[in-house]
Amino acid sequence: MELTRREALRSVVSKCVPVATAALCLPATEAAEAPSQPKAPVGMLYDTTLCIGCKACVVACAEANELPRDVSLDGLHQAPEDLNAFTKNIIKLYKPHEQSPDSFVKQQCMHCIDPACVAACPFKALWKDDGNGIVAWEPSRCIGCRYCEIACAYHVPKFEWDMINPKIVKCEFCEPRLNKGYQPACTSVCPTHAVIFGPRQDLLSQAKERIEQAPDKYFENRVYGEHEAGGTQVLYLSHVPFEDIGLPDVGPAPIPAALKWQKRIYKFLALPLLMYAMLASIMKKNWIDHRREMREEEERTGLRPQL
Amino acid sequence: MKHIIVRWQRGVPVYAVPKITPFFVFLCAMGALSIVLSAYREWAGLGPTTGMNDIYAWGIWKTFNTMVLTGLGSGGFSVGIAAWIFYRRDLHSVMRTAVLTSFVAYFSGLVALGVDVGRPWNFYQVLMPWTWNAHSPLLEVAVCMPLYACVPLFLENTPPLIERWYYTWPWFRPFIMKHLVPAIRSTYPYVIALAYALPMMHQSSLGALMLLGGSRVHVLWQSPFLPLLYVWAAGFLGYACVIGVLMVACLSWKRPMDMRILGVLARIMSWLILTWSVFRFVDILARGQIGAAFAFDRFSLLFWIETLLLVCPSVFMLWGGNRRIPSRLFQADLLIAVGGMLYRYDPTSFAFTARPGAVYFPSAIEALIAAGYVCLAIAAFVLAAKYLPILPAPVSAWHGMEHYARVVHPDWKLETHDFSHQNRPHFAN
Repeated sequence: MELTRREALRSVVSKCVPVATAALCLPATEAAEAPSQPKAPVGMLYDTTLCIGCKACVVACAEANELPRDVSLDGLHQAPEDLNAFTKNIIKLYKPHEQSPDSFVKQQCMHCIDPACVAACPFKALWKDDGNGIVAWEPSRCIGCRYCEIACAYHVPKFEWDMINPKIVKCEFCEPRLNKGYQPACTSVCPTHAVIFGPRQDLLSQAKERIEQAPDKYFENRVYGEHEAGGTQVLYLSHVPFEDIGLPDVGPAPIPAALKWQKRIYKFLALPLLMYAMLASIMKKNWIDHRREMREEEERTGLRPQL
Repeated sequence: MKHIIVRWQRGVPVYAVPKITPFFVFLCAMGALSIVLSAYREWAGLGPTTGMNDIYAWGIWKTFNTMVLTGLGSGGFSVGIAAWIFYRRDLHSVMRTAVLTSFVAYFSGLVALGVDVGRPWNFYQVLMPWTWNAHSPLLEVAVCMPLYACVPLFLENTPPLIERWYYTWPWFRPFIMKHLVPAIRSTYPYVIALAYALPMMHQSSLGALMLLGGSRVHVLWQSPFLPLLYVWAAGFLGYACVIGVLMVACLSWKRPMDMRILGVLARIMSWLILTWSVFRFVDILARGQIGAAFAFDRFSLLFWIETLLLVCPSVFMLWGGNRRIPSRLFQADLLIAVGGMLYRYDPTSFAFTARPGAVYFPSAIEALIAAGYVCLAIAAFVLAAKYLPILPAPVSAWHGMEHYARVVHPDWKLETHDFSHQNRPHFAN
């Protein structure tokens, strides 16, 4: 069989381009795909053994963030069952079934190193600061799809269900206060320093010191948040199992890593475009055949062909 | 019993039936109710009108109207690939039905999605690529799905419209002949290729949405191959929908059924389902989660219901005799449609344990809005089938309609139309 130069070129291109594109896009290393780490991540360290459950932090949080009084429980204030659109920070009590110790636990946004909500958000309404690593919400970009609520393993982002102009409500480390040189409201009022604020690295070494000084005081002698879901900027020390106080076992991999094949397939939109090119080339050929058949059909039946 | 072999050859409008029927009025009333209720939802917010909460932040508008019904409306995509890419020329006769089911299903799903989002006024950013988070599966859906519905799917549905306009709007005829028909003829292959590339992208991204759900989606459903399984399921659901719609339409409007074409569709669907089921089992085995299928909890029960609903009718339809008997084909098709819809629904709902103990149940308003937009889609289909040459029929039906029109509607003045070659909308030349 003889090949013209054009045919040879086409044959080479049609085989090489797909292979080259796939080779470029698919085998990316995970290290290269990991998001850039914040330069100077700030964080919180919460220690269940120090918390006395006074809820000063809950009230201070509401005041600093100008949240309305949460009166979801009749006759009481700031006593909701869970984080909600009026509560960015909450103290809960873990009540064991038997004689094992009970424990308070503080819940607010974990400010993950690689946050699932930021990976989920279609229009970057939730975004992570390159410097201090705070995960914040930008109202002018949010379409209210609530994918962040589905994606967050800690159930942190909350939605204003009753509003005509609903917002996503979550802890943002009191960023306006930080900019003025203050601490976040919750850490600034804690009377026992059960929750403290500082650079994440300092807090991590401090937590490890506490574990060293009192071995077997803390559950599994480890810090929750050091490696969980790729690491979080809020760290926990607990004397009861983490799962009992609502800290899920999420594994060491960042949650957005589940999307790694999506990222590779859609890289530069190369593979979808390639697929389109292949479909279009097949279609072009079949379209010519189909039109010829339509004309033959018309000659046979005398009826105008339909598409 | 005498068998009459019917061969579907061309689209013929449903004629000699009343356009406005009690059923059609009911569909429109449900649609109107859902529009009123949607306005109320925009005014009152999502909380008072729906059963959604902070734990189950997605309700049936996303999980059913969008994720399930666009899967069911993938006929234009899946039957189209067989007809155009694999060049099954006998399937061209059902393509108009397929692309119309896709069109109404996608639009009703997109409207439900619009009612669902809390801050729709910010959606304009979909036109501004620099605001996109390109790695979000939801962004992919938000861009790709409206693009598919508005460009390739819309253009695929224009030929029947143009055919009608040619006869009903004589003043429009020169424009049709000079501009519309040549434009369609020259762009068709590229647009059609887009009509297969885009659904492959967004139907798989619908599955990718739940990848971020992690272990909260039960292990029998949560898989790295969830996107592939989702687009595959959209493939066979599209066939199930086209078969079901064609049979219901033929039965209710007393039109002849071409059991051979329906059988071809059913056979392709059976093989899609069987290979899909094998792939799903291999995936579960490879992840070492087969034990969960035999845990005999509600998840394993759900898993087996799905599997049996899909596999049993598919095996049943491997025998040609079963495919040729309308009642058997219809029942098997119905079971497959239910099973496939259940599979598309479960990862976001029944198999999604957002938090132990938390529940979501749609409110009455929510369910009425969801049902109302489905009713509007059906109403649009019914109306289109009566006005446009959509549903396939033998050529005799076409001549029958022409005869009927001359007798019943002399005002249409068919004789005055010039039927010579040059002056008809002709996509073939």
